[in-house]
Amino acid sequence: MLLTPYRVLDLTDQRGMLAGQILSDLGADVIAIEPPEGSPARAVGPFAGDDPGPDRSLFWWAYARNKRGITCNLDHPDGQALVRQLAADADFVLESSDPGAMTARGLGYRDLSAEHDALIYTSISAFGQNGPKAGYQATDLILMAAGGPLILSGGAGEAPVRVSVPQAWSHASGEAAIATMVALRARSNIGRGQYIDISAQQSVAAATMSANLAASIGAAETARVAGGMAVGPFTGKLIWEVADGYISLTFLFGSGIGPFSQRLFNWMYDEGECSLEDRDLDWIGLGAEFISGARPLSDWARLMEVVGEFLKQRSRDELFAEAQSRSLLIVPATTVDEVANSEQFEAREFWREHEMPGWPGPVRFPGPFVKLSDNEIEYRRRAPTLGEHNAEVYAELGLDQDALSDLRERGVI
Amino acid sequence: MTALDNTPAIPTEGALAGLKVLDLMWVVAGPTATRAMADFGATVVRVESANRIETARGIGPYHNNGQGPDHSGLFGNMNINKLGLSLNLGTEEGRAVLLDLIKWCDVLTESFSPRAMRAWGMDYDSLKEIKPELIMLSTCLFGQEGPLSRVAGFGTMGAAIGGYIALAGNPGGSPIGPYSAYTDYLSPRFALPTILAALDHRDRTGEGIYIDQAQAESSLHFMSTALLDYHVNGRVPQLVGNADPDMAPHGCYAAAGDDDWVAIAVRDDGDWANLCSAMGTGELTCDDRFSDLASRQANEDELNGIVSSWAAQHGAVEIEYMLQAFGVPAHAVSNSSAAAQDPQMKHRGHFVAMEHPEHGTTTFEAAKGQMTETPPSYRSVAPSIGRDNDLVLRDILGYDDEQIANLAIADALT
Repeated sequence: MLLTPYRVLDLTDQRGMLAGQILSDLGADVIAIEPPEGSPARAVGPFAGDDPGPDRSLFWWAYARNKRGITCNLDHPDGQALVRQLAADADFVLESSDPGAMTARGLGYRDLSAEHDALIYTSISAFGQNGPKAGYQATDLILMAAGGPLILSGGAGEAPVRVSVPQAWSHASGEAAIATMVALRARSNIGRGQYIDISAQQSVAAATMSANLAASIGAAETARVAGGMAVGPFTGKLIWEVADGYISLTFLFGSGIGPFSQRLFNWMYDEGECSLEDRDLDWIGLGAEFISGARPLSDWARLMEVVGEFLKQRSRDELFAEAQSRSLLIVPATTVDEVANSEQFEAREFWREHEMPGWPGPVRFPGPFVKLSDNEIEYRRRAPTLGEHNAEVYAELGLDQDALSDLRERGVI
Repeated sequence: MTALDNTPAIPTEGALAGLKVLDLMWVVAGPTATRAMADFGATVVRVESANRIETARGIGPYHNNGQGPDHSGLFGNMNINKLGLSLNLGTEEGRAVLLDLIKWCDVLTESFSPRAMRAWGMDYDSLKEIKPELIMLSTCLFGQEGPLSRVAGFGTMGAAIGGYIALAGNPGGSPIGPYSAYTDYLSPRFALPTILAALDHRDRTGEGIYIDQAQAESSLHFMSTALLDYHVNGRVPQLVGNADPDMAPHGCYAAAGDDDWVAIAVRDDGDWANLCSAMGTGELTCDDRFSDLASRQANEDELNGIVSSWAAQHGAVEIEYMLQAFGVPAHAVSNSSAAAQDPQMKHRGHFVAMEHPEHGTTTFEAAKGQMTETPPSYRSVAPSIGRDNDLVLRDILGYDDEQIANLAIADALT
């Protein structure tokens, strides 16, 4: 696998676990280090059978894949010494504790890199390691508010609405994986590792699609449109109600999208549901006509209504089938069960299965995030049970069963 | 934070110095990934054509609310530090330039629909014959194979078919979805680590690799728990507004002002007691209706009413400061103007200003990762179409005047 030669110490909790998983999926040897009582991520729901328990957190199942798991008490001096020993052989350390917490334990970047300057050490935190808000309390909703995506999602004049599956820490974890890999390449250029500081607030800003720049470049604020987005003076509707649910249709003019709109209107005309004049509009140059005032903006609203009426009389399947034969920008807005049963993902053999302890039958996971021509992503380990690899990993430090028993009794591991 | 140097050039410093990237991607998902490489010192040649204006050039926010291919703040943000080459791939001569660039680059990235590269004889299997060490990324909505692989699509559609639209909305209402092209923001987080891992592997083994990314598939890793909840527990998520299974109150509350909102999240009874103190309603702490999570959720409408009437009397930022001082998670729901003034974003240097030939100045976002040894550099604003043709054709490919003139005559550089 691509990252087989590398070892990662993953000290993150639910705030950063996806970072290590991206590296572990790519083949790195990732050792997840949990406190002896279990990672707080094991307390994150939902749970298998809705029955909370350390080996039943679906969050843990999802984001500890391909990692080995050991326990270690980071607040105990002997536990700290163990991590320092493990770090000496690691290429990467990932952590997501509150800013300053790792340094207070003697496990900060300076501590671990002092005699190992090749180490790449990545910290993930809510607002970054420094600055006036570095100590802020944060949750998913708070970060989506602080980073800018939240204000853009929801109905005009109504309260902004978040995605109900928490997203913010995954954005930060993804950025951490990127920066960590950049540092790996830098290491071969400059001959040493470095420290990386990832802010979740800054990471989620990517989900504003640059709308967060408006004030800085003299543009108007981006209006909040339920199920759509504003494109300059135009309201672009993205989610449309059809006979049996919702679809996404990208409907606009210009050289990128205009040809698709032209084909949609060709179909509508064939069905007798739009006028010849509308069909024969200049779908590439239409925007300029509106901007110059040659065509009133109200005409755009009218065209959206014409499209809306057409869609309302048709089912999702019919629209999607026609979209494929006519090359239109239409897909159904699916629910999670439909995603899970999608023919497309099935045809690409996307899903992977693991047997999970204490759960009957195999469990299906989202499969490899990319397909590779060689060195493919393998699902080689399910999420570890608590301390599953203690003996194996600590043996590398020369600790035998007696030593481990002693550490266990003293609450170190 | 202001970056002053603004001359397109081949970078010589940075974490990725020496890395050569040929970027045939467009809009958001692809350009986000290549921008990160450019920030850290890779030479990224971004190919465009004036014959089919890149969609992002038409998407706002627009500099000074103006119109034109170089007014888009989105395009500007996605493409700083890149070299812009205009190439008409409809001509044989244009495709010959492309082939020369493929021979030059370490990494080729493209986001055409799956047929295009094949039709030009530039699919991976053909290219690896002439360049076995090539790293190539093809990224599109559904991937290179499967019944839907020919469906063209933007990230807005990825958000729909990837299940995200149905994850945001108010109870009983229509789905609202996250803002715009959601899967475009997620897929670079998987594409880029893979490219960099593939480069590291190539340096060790000499082997190239082909990366087939279906953005819809990558993006499912941001909702793994919901997929597992369905597979294991048979549960399908419903529209719940901002309600949270483990927190109440939990939502956006209208603050004093025009479209000003504050997000508040009460994680436990301690947060609740602190919120009550901050609101000056300490007696509610021991009110039976709200004393624990279950009772707060059972009486959530009443609870939200109380928080709403208090919030309406204060500014969003004022509430944020007040509640954070009490240790309660809260933040103003930032729009672009609040973000520009946010002391934390300022401290982190999130917004970077640079001189711009057309707009005087422009602003873009800093690289996300702050790195101690190899910080990003900001060298040039996003290219106008064909801005760097000379640099690319002469300095990178070594073409002479006559070759370039012939390309122009053949209409290959439009």
